Parts: sequence; structure tokens; C-alpha cells
Amino acid sequence: MGCEVRVVFFAAAKELVGCREASLSVPSRLSFSELKDILLEKYEALKILESNFILAKNQEYLDFEGDALVVFKSGDELAVIPPISGG
Amino acid sequence: MNHILITEQRLNIPDMYNKVRDPSCGAISSFVGTTRDLFNDKPVVKLEYEAYIGMAEKALGDICKQLRSQWPLHHILMAHRLGSVPVGEESVAIFVSSVHRAESLAAVSAAIDALKASVPIWKKELYSDGSSNWKVNAECAWK
Repeated sequence: MGCEVRVVFFAAAKELVGCREASLSVPSRLSFSELKDILLEKYEALKILESNFILAKNQEYLDFEGDALVVFKSGDELAVIPPISGG
Repeated sequence: MNHILITEQRLNIPDMYNKVRDPSCGAISSFVGTTRDLFNDKPVVKLEYEAYIGMAEKALGDICKQLRSQWPLHHILMAHRLGSVPVGEESVAIFVSSVHRAESLAAVSAAIDALKASVPIWKKELYSDGSSNWKVNAECAWK
């Protein structure tokens, strides 16, 4: 079963995709690497970041090991987080 | 008490210092980061910051918790400015008060390292020749 999540983009990811947020259909259970593949297929411009971004779900970083399980429900917020540079 | 501030306004450093003062504390330690005028000899005009605001506030709160689990601290203040920060102005400020100096000095150093490693904030460096570059912290684990 799929669900609709809100994807938010920041910094270099926002510039590459050309928008601040979008909605995306994702399976309710999938691995981190499957999730990344879905994003890269839908937002090809992100490929330039290669593996240099991680994801956060509802403002918590997801475990970025490839086979970590990610569980979604509709309305979740998924953030694309390029390498950070605060400070 | 923990004070966490993410703002588009210029950081009011004296006000921040006053927030962590306490009669029980013999030490106030601080770190303030400012925009430098050169990057590898290239003149810098300003930095532009953006944040994932809700998550960044949470991440700063988590850092305060970590610091308190390691040292007895009185007040902690962590502030970050967003938007344009011209050369010479402050982008980040950390103030910590403690009874003795060793704790607050160590905590301030750990706090800025943790901020650079985990808080979702980004800066773009804009140069005088019109070019720009998204920066990446050495402390970031996914770069």
C-alpha cells in the first residue's frame, strides 16, 4: 500500500529540484536505499549530489545504512538533507 | 535553563551574554562565529544561511541535553542567524555558564562541534566576483 508524503528540499537540493516542497507517493514500508532510488528517479537533478545527501522523516534523521527499514504513513514529511554547513 | 534561538535578525551578543549570567556561576564561556573576508584568498562578500527550522531547533535542544549529561552546567544559549550575514557579522553564538570554568569551556567546544556535525543548517558563500558555493562542514558525516 502506498501513501502520500510531503517532500521538502533544502539548500543545494532545493536549487537542483527547483522547488521547496512537493508531494510524492511512496510504499508504506521500504528500505532506505529503495527510498533513495524512488527519489532519484522522480527528481533526477538530485543525482548530481550522488550519495551526498541523507533523509529525515518528520524531522528525525533516517538511518542511512542501505537496508534500514523506513515506514511511512500519509502526511509524513520527508526532507532531503544535503551536507550541512551551519556555524 | 536552555535558550535556543534561530533568527533572521542580527545576533545581539551582549543580550545573549546577559541571559546566561547567574550569581551561582563563576564562569561564562562563549564561542561566536563570524563571516570571514577571505576563502582561500578569494574575497568573500557575505554568507547566506538557511535552515530546516523545526528540526534545527530540535537538534540544538538535543545538543543541550548531551552537554548537560556530560557536565554540570547552569545556562546554555545556542543561537544561529539565517539569511544574509555580511563580512564581520555574527552567524552563530554559544554561551554557557557554570560554577567553575573547566565545564563551560569544554561544553562550548563540544557544542560548536556538535552543531557543525548534526544541525540542519546550510550556508552559501558569495564571492566578490559574483560566484558562489554551498559549503560543507568537515564534521558532516555524509559528504
